[in-house]
Amino acid sequence: MFEPKIMCFLCKWCTYAGADLAGTSRLEFSPNGINLRVMCSSRIDPQHILHAFKEGADGVFIGGCHPGDCHYVEGNYKTLRRVTLFKTMMEQLGLDPKRLRLEWISAAEGKKYVETMNEFTETIRNLGPLNLEEKTLTEEGVCHE
Amino acid sequence: MRVHYYPGCTLKEKATNLEDSTREAMARLDTDLVEPEGWTCCGAEYPLITEKIHGLIPPVRILRQVEIEEGSKVVTTCAFCFAVLKRANKAMLDNPTLHTRVNEYLADDILIDPTTKEKRTHFESYNGDVQVLHLLEYLRDEVGLGHLKSLVKRDLSHIKVAPYYGCRLLRPQKEVAIDDPETPTIFEDFLNAIGCTVVDFPFKQECCGSYLSASMPETSNEPSYRVLNSAKMNGANVVALSCPLCYYNMDTRQDRIKEEYLEFNGFPVLYFTQLLAWALGADVETLGLDKHLCDPRPLFDIKQNAEDVEVNL
Amino acid sequence: MKDDGKKKRIGVFVCHCGVNIAGVVDVEKVAELLKDYPGVEFSTDYVYMCSEPGQQLVLDKIKEDKLDSVIIAACSPTLHEKTFQSAAELAGLNPHQVEIANIREQDSWVHPDRDKATVKAVKIVKSMVEKAIQNEDLEPIKVGVFKKALVIGGGVTGLQAAMDIADQGYEVIVVEKEPSVGGKMIQLSETFPTLDCSQCILTPKMVEVTRHPKIKLMTYSEVESISGFVGNFKVRIKKKPRFVDEDKCKLCNECADVCPQIVPDEYNMGLSFRKAIYMPFPQAVPGTYTLDMESCLGTLPIRCGKCKDVCDAQAIDYDMKEEIIEEEVGAVVVATGYDLYDMKALGEYGGENYEDVLNGLEFERILSASGPTGGKVQRPSDGKVPKNVVFIQCAGSRDPENHNSYCSKICCMYTAKHAMLYKHRVHDGNAIVFYIDVRTGGKNFDEFYQRATDDESILYLRGKVSKIFKEGNKMIVWGVDTLTGQKVEVEADMVVLAMAMTKADGVPELMKKLKISIDGNGWLAEAHPKLRPVESLNQGFYLAGAALGPKDIPEAVAQASAAAAKVGALFAKDELMHAPTIVPVIEELCSGCGICVSMCPYGARTLNAVRKVIEVNEVLCEGCGACAAACPAGAAQQLNQSDSQIFSMVKAILRG
Repeated sequence: MFEPKIMCFLCKWCTYAGADLAGTSRLEFSPNGINLRVMCSSRIDPQHILHAFKEGADGVFIGGCHPGDCHYVEGNYKTLRRVTLFKTMMEQLGLDPKRLRLEWISAAEGKKYVETMNEFTETIRNLGPLNLEEKTLTEEGVCHE
Repeated sequence: MRVHYYPGCTLKEKATNLEDSTREAMARLDTDLVEPEGWTCCGAEYPLITEKIHGLIPPVRILRQVEIEEGSKVVTTCAFCFAVLKRANKAMLDNPTLHTRVNEYLADDILIDPTTKEKRTHFESYNGDVQVLHLLEYLRDEVGLGHLKSLVKRDLSHIKVAPYYGCRLLRPQKEVAIDDPETPTIFEDFLNAIGCTVVDFPFKQECCGSYLSASMPETSNEPSYRVLNSAKMNGANVVALSCPLCYYNMDTRQDRIKEEYLEFNGFPVLYFTQLLAWALGADVETLGLDKHLCDPRPLFDIKQNAEDVEVNL
Repeated sequence: MKDDGKKKRIGVFVCHCGVNIAGVVDVEKVAELLKDYPGVEFSTDYVYMCSEPGQQLVLDKIKEDKLDSVIIAACSPTLHEKTFQSAAELAGLNPHQVEIANIREQDSWVHPDRDKATVKAVKIVKSMVEKAIQNEDLEPIKVGVFKKALVIGGGVTGLQAAMDIADQGYEVIVVEKEPSVGGKMIQLSETFPTLDCSQCILTPKMVEVTRHPKIKLMTYSEVESISGFVGNFKVRIKKKPRFVDEDKCKLCNECADVCPQIVPDEYNMGLSFRKAIYMPFPQAVPGTYTLDMESCLGTLPIRCGKCKDVCDAQAIDYDMKEEIIEEEVGAVVVATGYDLYDMKALGEYGGENYEDVLNGLEFERILSASGPTGGKVQRPSDGKVPKNVVFIQCAGSRDPENHNSYCSKICCMYTAKHAMLYKHRVHDGNAIVFYIDVRTGGKNFDEFYQRATDDESILYLRGKVSKIFKEGNKMIVWGVDTLTGQKVEVEADMVVLAMAMTKADGVPELMKKLKISIDGNGWLAEAHPKLRPVESLNQGFYLAGAALGPKDIPEAVAQASAAAAKVGALFAKDELMHAPTIVPVIEELCSGCGICVSMCPYGARTLNAVRKVIEVNEVLCEGCGACAAACPAGAAQQLNQSDSQIFSMVKAILRG
């Protein structure tokens, strides 16, 4: 069975704490995602996402606080705008936008974190490996997935 | 000006004084009232029944006919018809399920084509785009009370009017209300504009007894009496209203009220359109004042001949 | 990077956490695999890293192997990051060189498969090594604290907060928009459930505040703006002209005697009248007259100007101008209080048109010995003693459809008090209370309510009132008794509405200026509803009293003291430490485009128009990194979380 590689960027205040709660609650889930803790989801630059795909990620996950709950007032709105735009860009690049997922998960939502991780892993598994590096770019600079 | 006008069945039968005075007044405001072709009863019971679809068919049919005739607004004077049409229209706007089902029912309906006058069977669905206006709203928003005031030909200051809203102009608040349901002023503003003396009284929004006069006639005496008595106690010499059912309870049935309340010796009730037409200079004969059980004619006596007593305001 | 190509010496310590980690993850293997990873100088595993010997191990190894960065692969950083940072500091290592690899909560506890969990643990540790390679030594940013507080609002909450801060030895400025301090409490007659006189307990506090050497009182003043940050705020206060010199005024009342202008008296809720030059009430603080220029007939002799003529003390100065006073403070307590919901909104109860339908505060004035009737219960329309009084609770409260959805909390108690005080004054009178529920959560509250129903024979009817109207001399009250299902009609001489408490006038606008968030009802939003109830998310701002939501006097006072304690804790430090993981600017890369300026929620970044570069106020920067992600030139790099670090970590995670 294909085991996708998933890069997860989690905001320190909400989703990272939600992931910790999943741990203290001993909720089991697929181990495909590995977390990188950032102060705020708005720290995530589209470059980071592209870099992850380039380095072999089959999917990228970004977790932030619920709208209105951002520790930094409105960072999550900025993230939402960036992700929405980046998904359009992914389509243009020939990447399936489903390979990128943004979710609001609070510190109290360990269960939601686990469900999201399982779901996302399954989504990526169904999409199959990305292997971006092995893919040759067409003349228009678009990779055909 | 030309505007669609839905009279409703009562105005053509029992409340001809409301119909006639409305037409008289609107003619004096240079407004052409157009009745939608083949209109039917609005289905007055819509607010009372639980099976919404059936209640919605007649009013939506009327509204759709207005739209087919390229009307964007429909004006009513009967408060009951107004409430039914407005609620039905709102249901079509807000409730997608009702919207779909009602349009499905009406899909095979037969309506009259406005141009060819032939029967037509296929129409686009009705989406709640026609604006339903009560005549008071029309006067306030389309004619303008300031303009109305400038057209007044008679001095009505001796007529002390208690404006009676009843229920249908104000409730349910979120679906119908033409003004704040607790502290409405639209009726008062209108009466002030045509030069009446307005009397505030606490029962202006209370129930007149409504349909109880048909099913439990003895019960409806009290509410009607309380309204009339309160108007009187507060110094009014007439109650003005816009609803034929309120009128029936409070004027046509005054004999019954007198039987129960011996101290009550009658109180005149008018449609607001009668005052409007009179203020605009209509002949007293056009107002249908002879139809009232409690004769309001003494109020109109002094200045019966419009041309003689025209006042410059 | 700072290490100038010098190779880092990193130590990796893998914790067994008993069986919590070791039971799933092959910790020895993790430590073994890390030994050869570039940058790693030393790697080991240990049974409990957080134990005393575990910490000692880290300490010793730092010294022994001259480690300049350590990775602790253990539980979540939220638990022991501080512990290991302190241990490292003891060994002379900068705490920002300590990284925690979370292999318990985010690995061993959630992935029971030994192989998979071990692989994941290795990747997690490697990613932290990659981060550590580029970590710099960082020193916390120190900011001085201006040890002076501003209290906005001179009601009981504001006064209490001011006293408590001043008693800790710090200076306080109290800003009150009305001519006198005292707020709503000074208008109350007696307070529940003890029935002690409100003025008698508040006036000594008001006087105490004026006499306190550390407190500066600024009445008839409003906060215009506040800029700066915690510990260093700059406040602009607008001082409205009083046209009377507070120091010279001898309170002789000559000016008010000659003043021809009569206006409704705010202190008595408009139930009596005052002159245009007036003292709000005899115990007003500061004790001085105020000329209300809006009501004044005119200061020119040709118009009036009488008051100046009769003032022997020459205290009246018509040329007084509005002043803007600037102050520096370190903390702000917001105690802006509440207002009563507008009676106009309740058209069914007459919407303010019936003179004998009163709100709670108006009735307080009627009951008060200092009120318009001298404490005698008389109705405003004709001065008659009302024999039937109807009290209506929840007027505008608990009505999500038309008014406020919340419970105003104090009305049940003050209505019981009103009815009781009415019965004490009018022995043969009838008091009827309409209620939805009676809520008496509080010390001695239910006993008080029981006294009202049992001993004072006040009739409680459970139901709402639908309409009040006038019939002759009486008010007719239509309601329903929901316990019997009967319609109720009561003739009343007077009706008292327990109007909802609502946000004070002008508060939302002020809070917008102070960047303090408010909730949907206009109440101030606390940093955390349970654990930080008197703090704002905007650092340096503390919140207290009814501005946060309906509450009674003891609760408001308790919050005032709590806010004062928080201010004290802040002022106890000479310097505030600010996390140094901020986002500075690499000036060589910055083009001065200004994109990051719009990203910053704290106003920490400004564009220097002359040098065409961004300048960062490192105290204001909270280090979220939103600007770093937005910078098109890579000139904004977060310290110890640079793009380069993130790239290396991503690589380690995906390829490691």
